[in-house]
Formats: sequence, C-alpha cells, structure tokens
Amino acid sequence: MEIIATYGTAMVILAVIFGLYMTWGIGANDLANAMGTSVGAGAVTVKQAICIAIIFEFLGAVLAGGHVTSTIRKGIIDPTSITANPEILVYGMLAALLAAAFWLMIASTKGWPVSTTHSIIGALIGFAIVGIGPDAVKWNKVGSVVASWVISPAVGGTIAFLLVMSTRKLIFDTDQPLRNAKKYAPFYIFLVGFIISLVTLFKGLKHLKVDLTAAQSFGVASIIGVLAAALGWFFIKNIKEEVGTNRETHFASVEKVFTPMMLFTACAMAFAHGSNDVANGIGPLAAVVSIVGSGGEVMQKSDLPIWILLLGGGGIVLGLITLGYRVMLTVGKKITELTPSRGFCAELAAATTVVLASRTGLPVSTTHILVGSVLGVGLARGIGALDLRVVGNIIISWVITLPAGAIMAMLFFYTLKGIFG
Amino acid sequence: MRSTTPLSGLFRRSPFKPIQEHMRVVFSCICLVPPLFDAIYAKDEGQTRDLSRQINELETEADKIKSTFRLNMPTSLLMPVDRKDLLGLISEQDAIADTAEAISQIVTYRDMIVPDKIKSHLDELLEGTMEVTSEAKEMIEQLDELLEVGFGGREMERVSEMIAGVRRSEHNIDSILHRARRALFEIESEIDPVSAIYWYKILELLGNISDQSENMADRVLLFLSK
Repeated sequence: MEIIATYGTAMVILAVIFGLYMTWGIGANDLANAMGTSVGAGAVTVKQAICIAIIFEFLGAVLAGGHVTSTIRKGIIDPTSITANPEILVYGMLAALLAAAFWLMIASTKGWPVSTTHSIIGALIGFAIVGIGPDAVKWNKVGSVVASWVISPAVGGTIAFLLVMSTRKLIFDTDQPLRNAKKYAPFYIFLVGFIISLVTLFKGLKHLKVDLTAAQSFGVASIIGVLAAALGWFFIKNIKEEVGTNRETHFASVEKVFTPMMLFTACAMAFAHGSNDVANGIGPLAAVVSIVGSGGEVMQKSDLPIWILLLGGGGIVLGLITLGYRVMLTVGKKITELTPSRGFCAELAAATTVVLASRTGLPVSTTHILVGSVLGVGLARGIGALDLRVVGNIIISWVITLPAGAIMAMLFFYTLKGIFG
Repeated sequence: MRSTTPLSGLFRRSPFKPIQEHMRVVFSCICLVPPLFDAIYAKDEGQTRDLSRQINELETEADKIKSTFRLNMPTSLLMPVDRKDLLGLISEQDAIADTAEAISQIVTYRDMIVPDKIKSHLDELLEGTMEVTSEAKEMIEQLDELLEVGFGGREMERVSEMIAGVRRSEHNIDSILHRARRALFEIESEIDPVSAIYWYKILELLGNISDQSENMADRVLLFLSK
C-alpha cells in the first residue's frame, strides 16, 4: 500500500504516457487501415477521412467504448489473491501496455499484419501468469475472446456476402439498375445509421446515465437512420445515367450512387473502431487510475472516467494526423479493385460486426474483421482476385503475437518491479 | 512506420483486365489478315511483308501479356471463376494470334498467287472470320459486367446469347470452308500441286481461327456454369 501512496502520481503519469503512445500507434495504423477502404474507393479524401475519424472515433469511444475497456481492465485478470499488494497489478498493467506498444512498433517496422487487440491480450495474460499465477487468468473469458477472433471475421464475411447478394437482387440484376440503385440507396444508408445506433443505444449507455427502454432505443435509432438516409438522398438525387459513355461498364453510374454511400460506412467504421480499439490503449490505463485513485483497491469498483475515454480518442486522432494519413493513402491505392458497391457492403458488414462485439465487451480486431468481410464479398463472386495467402499470414500473426506480447510483458513487469522496488 | 495492414496484400489485380487487354491485341492481329490478303491479291510484296511484320509484332505483344498473366496467377487466389478456366481461356486467345502469324508467314516465304475461282470463297471466309472473332472479343469485353453481377442473372443471359452467336458463326464458317475446299478441288489440275497443298493449308488455318473462337466461347460458358 505504501508504494501506491508514494509513487501513485508517477504511476498514473507513466500510464498516461504509455496509454497515449499505444493509442497513437493504433491511430497511425489500425484506424488508417479501417478508413483506407473509403479513401481507396474515392468516396472521401484523406482530409475528409481525418475529419470523419476525429468526430466518430470520439463518439465511438465515449458512447460505446466502455464495455471492451471494462473487459481489458478487469475481465481477463482475477486479482483477488493480490489484494494486499495492489502495486503488482499496477506494474502489470503498465508492463502490458508497454509490451503491446513495443510489439506493435516491431511489427510495424517489419510490416507484419499484427493486431493491437491480440498484443494487449497476450501481454495481460503474460503478466498475470508470472506476476500473480496461472490461476489469476480468467481462462474462460480468454477462451471466449480468442473464439471471437475466429468467429468475428466469419460473421463479417457472412453479413458482407448477404449484403452483396441483396444489392445484386435489388439493384444490379434488374432492368433499370440505376433507378433501383437510387430507390434502395436511402434504405441501405438507413441500415447503416439504424444498426450502429441501435446496438450502441440498447442498454449500452448506462455509463452516461442514459437508460433507454427497448422501444426508446428503437425510436432513437430509427430517427438517426432516417436522418442519415435523408442526408444520403441529398447526395445521390442528382446522379444521372451517362449516355454515350464509350464502353465503360453500364454499371458505372450505379457505382456512382454507392460512392457517397461509402461516406456513411466510413463514419460507421470510425465509430466501430473507436468503440473497440480505443480500449486496447485505455483499458490498462483505466485500471491504473482506478487502483491509484482508490488508494489500492484492486477490484476496481469505480466507473470509467470520461476523461480517459477522451484521452484515448485523442491519442488515436493524433496518430492518424501525424502518420496515419500516409498509411491511409497507401492502403487506398492498393485497394482500387474494390468498387464502391462492394466496399460499401464490406464496410457495413465489418462495422456492424465490430459494434456488436463492442457491445458484448469482446475485444476484436477491426482490420481482421474487414479482411473477413472482403473475403465474404469475394465468395459472392464479387471481386476479381483476392490473395488467400493473407489469411495464412493473419493466422501466423495470431500464433506469434500472443506469446510475443506475453513474454515482453513478463520482462517489463520484472523491470518495473525492480525500479519501484 | 510501415503499414501492418493485411488489406493491401489481400487485393490483387483483377484477372479480367489482362484477359481483355490480351484479346484486344489478338483482335487487332486478326484485323490485319483481310488487308494481308488484299495485298496478296494486288501482288504487292512490300505491303504483304509490312503487314506480316505487323502481325508478327502484335503476336509477340500478345505472348508477353500472356506470360505476365500466367506468372501472376498463384494458386492462392480466390477468384469468381476457376483459375484453370482463365488460363485455358488466355491460351485459346493466344492460339488465335499464333494462327494469324502462321498464315502471315506462309504468304511471305511463298509467293502465293490467288486462283480466281477461290477468290470469292476466300473473301467470304475472311469476312466470316472477322465476324466470329469480333463476336468473341465482344464476349470478352462483357466480363467486367459479368463480374459486377457475380456471373449470373440477366447479364449472364446476354453473354449466353453471345456465346450462342459465336457458335452459329463458327458453324456458318464450316460450311463456307467446305465450299471453298470443293472449289479448290475442282481447279486442282489447273494449278501446280504444291500451291494447291498450301492453299489447303491456308484454308485450314483460317478455319482454325473460328474453331479457336468457339473454344473461347466454351471456356466463358464454364465461367457462367460454375
């Protein structure tokens, strides 16, 4: 207890620095990947993407980021056996943050497809095993988190597959594709606003002292959906069939309808990312703040302070502004093969899956879910060519990231323990 | 900081673009065949050699596109159509350019004099060849649209119709070819035997072009039936 009393402020400052560094890395890489799709399809410019990201990343973090943060803060590790030595948990959380950030730095210099989520979970497990003991790891919870890493891309893929099929049935495979595109576009945009806000609102805003009933949630989500659809209609109402365009595909004008629609999925992606990935950086930070603030209470009964969510969102935005825009451009250039209609389906599927996972408190990888969604579009025979070697690389990165994060967390844990004594 | 995204490695260039590019080159190769025969009719050796050289160059260009295409087709690709069918399709396309080149070579190393009796048949045959290859090219140009609708529905019906069109043209050419051979047979005694053999050879090669176009159509049909 004395250690907490003596070094409490220093520990919080360290946690803030590590947390900022981590969220900065997430913004520079992870968020940039998620938004790159919209940039690549030409739906938004890099500047617009950054503006969207700033607004919706914050919204996602503040409105829906609490559940995953809570999982990372207290869902993975059971600290009951160290109530007498709360500083152990503080070292552990700091070590986990540092390990994850460090591993991400190595991965990004090598260009490995590593996920921040997997790094932080691996690091937390690593610390718990050596710092407290293997029994302190809530293996059941870890099991369900790991299962969600496999299931979530499959869910994203399935939703994307069904969405592509629906656009085909309702729009592309009809006598008047453009007319039907304009007819159904507002409905699809409504879906974006409706699903994302419904998942977020439904019993999900307790931390903001807002508790909506099921009917109220439906109502508010519908209003948001209709507003989005109305805004979307404003963008697409003037798109006309281009007569006499040489021999470009006659679906070119239909794709033009989908371009502004990707603006909405870009917002959804930023929101989804904020709701899930911010937690990777601020979960351990929140744990440290809570333990120190309560003078050594490891069970962390206190609520998550909003300033931590804001700090996390801020770090991510900072990462995006300083480095992420370049990543966004690179990603955008590489994925020009994704037409706006397919990009829309893939992003909507990915955003929906991520928000669902966030609501359930499962830390998932936005990027991997997006990959799963794109593969779903591919299975619907919607993309020229996808290289499946990527899937193998992702699986290898899982297998490596968990132990790598764990081992580094162990090293940092002993280092910190040595420094603070 | 390098991007850790698996997304950029996920997307590969659509295989249909190089197929279409290849077909356009092959078609421009075929477009030079009728002028080549015009030059032979006119006994203009300079023009014959010039056109033959152009056909040769286009064939080389097509070959290059084909090789690059094959090199960029690892087995790990997830594509809306079978990899084998794509590789088969580009081979059939390439065979058309090869045939055109074979014809152009014969008429340069051998001064072919066109017997009057087969001229009209030859013209008819050339016209038919142009028709069937341009139909095949149109069919390949539809692959983009097919991709948009996932190789099904209305667009599939349109392409099926085009495939049937290629088949009809090929059938039509078979009967022209038969008449041309018959005409050649009837004048066999009037021309020298070696020339006769070479005319049979040229007729056969022209017939091959339409056969290869039909083979292309069969491959595209496999795309639709996957």
